[in-house]
Amino acid sequence: MADRLERLTTLVANLLDTRTPLTLEQIVRNVPGYPEEKASYRRQFERDKDTLRGIGVPISVETVGAETMYRIKPDEYYLPALDLTPEEQAAIHVAVTAVRLPGVGTDTALWKIGGQEGEAVPALASLPTTPALAELFDAYRKRATVTFTHRGATRRLDPYGLVFRRGHWYVVGRDHDREGPRSFRADRIDGVTVGAPGAFTVPEGLDPATLLRDDPMRFGSEEPSVEARILVDAEQAAFVVEELGEAAVESRNGDGSVVVTTTVTNRAAFLSFVLGLLDRAEVLGPPELRTRMVDWLDAIAAGAA
Amino acid sequence: MSPRPQIGPRLERVLALVPWIAEHPGSSLDELAVRFDVTPDELERDLELLPFCGLPPYSPDRLIDVEIVEGRVWIRFAEYFARPLRLTADEGLGLLAAGEALLAVPGSDQAGSLATALDKLAAAIGTERGVSVQVGGGTFLDALRTAADRRERVEIDYYSFGRDVTSTRRIDPESVFHAFGQWYVDAYCHDAGARRMFRVDRVRGVRPTGEHFTTAPATGTDDADAGSVFHPRADDARVTLRLGPDAGWVAESYPTESVTDRADGGWDVVLVVSERAFLERILLRLGPDAEVTAPPGWTTVGPDAARRVRARYG
Repeated sequence: MADRLERLTTLVANLLDTRTPLTLEQIVRNVPGYPEEKASYRRQFERDKDTLRGIGVPISVETVGAETMYRIKPDEYYLPALDLTPEEQAAIHVAVTAVRLPGVGTDTALWKIGGQEGEAVPALASLPTTPALAELFDAYRKRATVTFTHRGATRRLDPYGLVFRRGHWYVVGRDHDREGPRSFRADRIDGVTVGAPGAFTVPEGLDPATLLRDDPMRFGSEEPSVEARILVDAEQAAFVVEELGEAAVESRNGDGSVVVTTTVTNRAAFLSFVLGLLDRAEVLGPPELRTRMVDWLDAIAAGAA
Repeated sequence: MSPRPQIGPRLERVLALVPWIAEHPGSSLDELAVRFDVTPDELERDLELLPFCGLPPYSPDRLIDVEIVEGRVWIRFAEYFARPLRLTADEGLGLLAAGEALLAVPGSDQAGSLATALDKLAAAIGTERGVSVQVGGGTFLDALRTAADRRERVEIDYYSFGRDVTSTRRIDPESVFHAFGQWYVDAYCHDAGARRMFRVDRVRGVRPTGEHFTTAPATGTDDADAGSVFHPRADDARVTLRLGPDAGWVAESYPTESVTDRADGGWDVVLVVSERAFLERILLRLGPDAEVTAPPGWTTVGPDAARRVRARYG
């Protein structure tokens, strides 16, 4: 065990330090601990290479004539200088102990940025994760186009970032086939393939959250949009303002009720939202939506008398 | 300890440990053990292996030199390990997502050490803060977190979504946490005489009582805690719904006891209903696609609710 760790450490040192790529024969001659016999040392080296790649060591393979050669390019290996202050390191340490992401490797990440500074804190939040997430993030940081399956369809996307909202992760970006911004729930994505790096640029200053289309009232319908007004009783006012945002508030009344306005494209989703408030809310306008609500309620009331 | 510990994590630690010590000559072993979250024995074993590693011809000046004097450590001849290994996608995502999530909690300092640390990390990873995390919070998150921190008993106005009523309760907020996209208060409720999970977005008011409680703070929480938010109770009503072919999502979205296919493409679903308002919402949303067929007392819940809401429209 200790032998293998020594050999791997020395192997990394040799591959990092060399200016020219090394052949397998040069490697086994230079690095102590490999077996004598060719088939054995080849097998052993393949295992070592897999182990190193498994922890993210970038071993580059170059073919020169008939010869396969290996090296680690320093600029691909070294973490750029972060210049974190001790306070900043402590803040990151607090963050990774306060926020749990099951299955995402924050322990090893912490070692690389200088270990645990300051004190850990009790867990405050747990964000769900999904297998596609790290691949989507990798594609985003490399600016690589991704291909994946989403609800049975194959999509090609230039990922502009990841957004977590209402308990779900989304990837947002430019959809090649629909020519425009799109968002996809990451847990509905399968079979991610990451393309070549540097395939696109992210629009400057873009906040990925602005591309998120998770508001059902505004999406999923081709009908023209309208401005809907709702009167919400005090009981549900706080909830509705939280859902729609403070900007939606048109007026606040003395009894604690509020009038809110919101843009509606998908009528069915809007009515469903208002119906969830039961008799604590009323659609004030436009007449089109008010009539639709009344007709809907009348149909249910007539169902069984 | 497992007889064959994984070699990967230990190698990763060694590759991070060497540049740190090289950059901080004379670090104390005790401090290193804490910083890298290892026992002093493990740390010693990591350091003992280094003098056997290096470059050909493995002469003293080509092997990594580790010097330990009075509990302090120096490393020489490891220039190729001057920097740690880059963050993997998984690690970069982990740090950024955790940091952005904490920064999104209401009350966080948007210009503090965490914010500047995330800027530096994102620049090194090449991402320009492209991970956006929204955790919400609502009006009373801060007040409830403060009360939990100070072990203060509070009185809350709490909106029960299931019953569509707001009631006042005295609670001992044990902990406040975010899971499944929602904030929860895990508290002892004096009115219920039991522990209860409250959703922070349904809290409509928080008032101090001037009293304290003495339970020690929990050391953390996990998803299992939040998973207990809805428990069907034995005395909950079992309501049979006849659903149209387009209403199948109900069976996937709500706690059901049984689902039976019907010849016309629809379903008969037995739903566990703890509160009437919960069923009213489902029925109003489904409209003509759903009908309660049993038990007898429940068959007019939908039409009754529709008439009640309809009354607002004159």
